[in-house]
Amino acid sequence: MKAFRRRGTSFRAEFEPAEASMLASLAGQVAELVGTRTDDGADPAVVRLLPDAYPDDPEASREFRRFTADGLAERKIANAGVLAASVADAAGATSATKVTIDAQTAQAWLRALTDIRLTLAARLGIEQDEDLGDDPLLRDLYDWLGFVQGSLVEVMG
Amino acid sequence: MPEVLERPETIESTALDSPWTTIVWNDPVNLMTYVSWVFRSYFGFSKAEAERRMLQVHTEGRAVVATGPREEMERHVEAMHDFGLWATLSRADA
Repeated sequence: MKAFRRRGTSFRAEFEPAEASMLASLAGQVAELVGTRTDDGADPAVVRLLPDAYPDDPEASREFRRFTADGLAERKIANAGVLAASVADAAGATSATKVTIDAQTAQAWLRALTDIRLTLAARLGIEQDEDLGDDPLLRDLYDWLGFVQGSLVEVMG
Repeated sequence: MPEVLERPETIESTALDSPWTTIVWNDPVNLMTYVSWVFRSYFGFSKAEAERRMLQVHTEGRAVVATGPREEMERHVEAMHDFGLWATLSRADA
């Protein structure tokens, strides 16, 4: 991957086919997770993606969730779809491919990358700043996603 | 002649209710640059103010990012969840 750079009002990075495929696959997995979720608090990833709004008031949190969770979930699925669509060509290519996204697409990217990283962190058991997780391969992936997101935030200014 | 038909005082309960706060909590996942960017792009904070609140989240574990009516704070919390930040609302005096 080559980090994002600003191109006028757009942002451009370069991804290897395997990297682009990985991004699309992870986005799809998060969309699937959110789309088939149960709001019973059983999955820590779902709890982190759609957290309680009232720390000391379960009833108010339930009410808030009732009014906001479906809309939030729909937008998270849409953001994941935007991310997957923008890397589809690069994923099907045979060599590293430039991916150019406009400002609105970049908004979806930042949110989708966040949701993917939150989900991976929950799977890795990362709960504190110093936690590294117990799966080195997943951890590398998690850090790489942080690099992708960080490079995009930097050029969005 | 004394005024006997005084209009009773009405209390604007919404104005006197204690305000609510939107709180963003530290999490080990979100990049400091991203949190700062969210604070700037959503709340319209200056770069310096966004950095200050982001660092407060990072070092103190939480920061108040908005204060006001409950409905408005609920909108902010929902927006923060949209960005993937861990946010809650509480009464300001809690």
